[in-house]
Amino acid sequence: MSGYKCARCKQKVEIDINVRCPYCGHRILFKERGAGIKTVKAR
Amino acid sequence: MIPVRCFTCGKVISTEWEEYKKRRDAGEDPRVILDDLGLERYCCRRMLLTHKEIIDDLNPYQ
Amino acid sequence: MDIAFSRLESEVAKFVLSESIPAFANSFRRTMISDVPKLAIEDVIIYDNNSALFDEMLAHRLGLIPLKTNLSEYKKKSECSCGGEGCSLCESVYTLSAEGPCLVKSSDLIAQNPDAAPVTGEIPIVKLEKGQKVVLEAHAEINTGLEHAKWQSTLACGYKTYPVITIGDNCDACGHCADECARHVLKLAKKSVEVIDGKLIDCSMCKLCEKACVGSGWEDAAIRISSDNTKFVFVVESDGSLPVKEIMTYALTDLKDKSDSLVDVLTNISGAL
Repeated sequence: MSGYKCARCKQKVEIDINVRCPYCGHRILFKERGAGIKTVKAR
Repeated sequence: MIPVRCFTCGKVISTEWEEYKKRRDAGEDPRVILDDLGLERYCCRRMLLTHKEIIDDLNPYQ
Repeated sequence: MDIAFSRLESEVAKFVLSESIPAFANSFRRTMISDVPKLAIEDVIIYDNNSALFDEMLAHRLGLIPLKTNLSEYKKKSECSCGGEGCSLCESVYTLSAEGPCLVKSSDLIAQNPDAAPVTGEIPIVKLEKGQKVVLEAHAEINTGLEHAKWQSTLACGYKTYPVITIGDNCDACGHCADECARHVLKLAKKSVEVIDGKLIDCSMCKLCEKACVGSGWEDAAIRISSDNTKFVFVVESDGSLPVKEIMTYALTDLKDKSDSLVDVLTNISGAL
């Protein structure tokens, strides 16, 4: 599973039970882009 | 970002955006600029006239 | 059937098609729009993209970039001997890798085959800030405008019937019609109004002059606008991927092949009965 990033302090966060940054308590997290290669159609 | 082509006729208009923006900000009449750039149909003219660049507003939110 | 060009450049053509019928003019137009193949980016393999645009958005913008097309060099994917898997005969490969801060342009799209490079290198794709990165690979293939508008090589492609302006003997040269004309086709001569030389083709057949003529007191308007249904004024514009001449010749050959095959089918059916 790919990790998350806190929107305020930009630290890497793992979600366990609460959706909350353990470092600053911010509740908005961004999902990080996965490492895989993505193929899209240009339409 | 400015759309690559005109929505209606498909003419590539994004190439003219930089020059249009520069000359418009310098205070020139948009009508004169658009005539100069060779955009004669009103579908292509509105693409530049009504465009608002928002990529710089989006960029901080990564 | 005859074609007389008033303008023929690599990207624009204006001509009059005469001694024809509306059905032919329209099928010619439709073939030019939807049946002439060209190259356009279809599959985009994204390795990395943390720009402000989504992957799909980026791919869509890439797809709209016109690419120089040599029709003898590439085949349609569905008709290729590779069976649609993608090979050098039916695909053109491009790579793009850029790191901010910069403005990524179509010239950053590096083509494996320089003959199939973008028509212009000045098309902005995405603006990157410091730390942002885009790495991708794009595969272009041949298809027609019938499938998607990115494979449509014509921009403004249309026709109108040839205008005919008849000025009757009851014209009193009041000049109302010439004032009303939005395209400035008419001028005032000594005894009546006249069409300015070479301006007839500009007439949009809006009939404002007829209305002005009736409005000035005549029961029956002295000026009449009609159209010649055997002559057509065409405008064809190309996006640069193919020259207009090639688009026209391809469309005409295609139209001929299609009608020939229809004849074949019809003779087969009638022969079988």
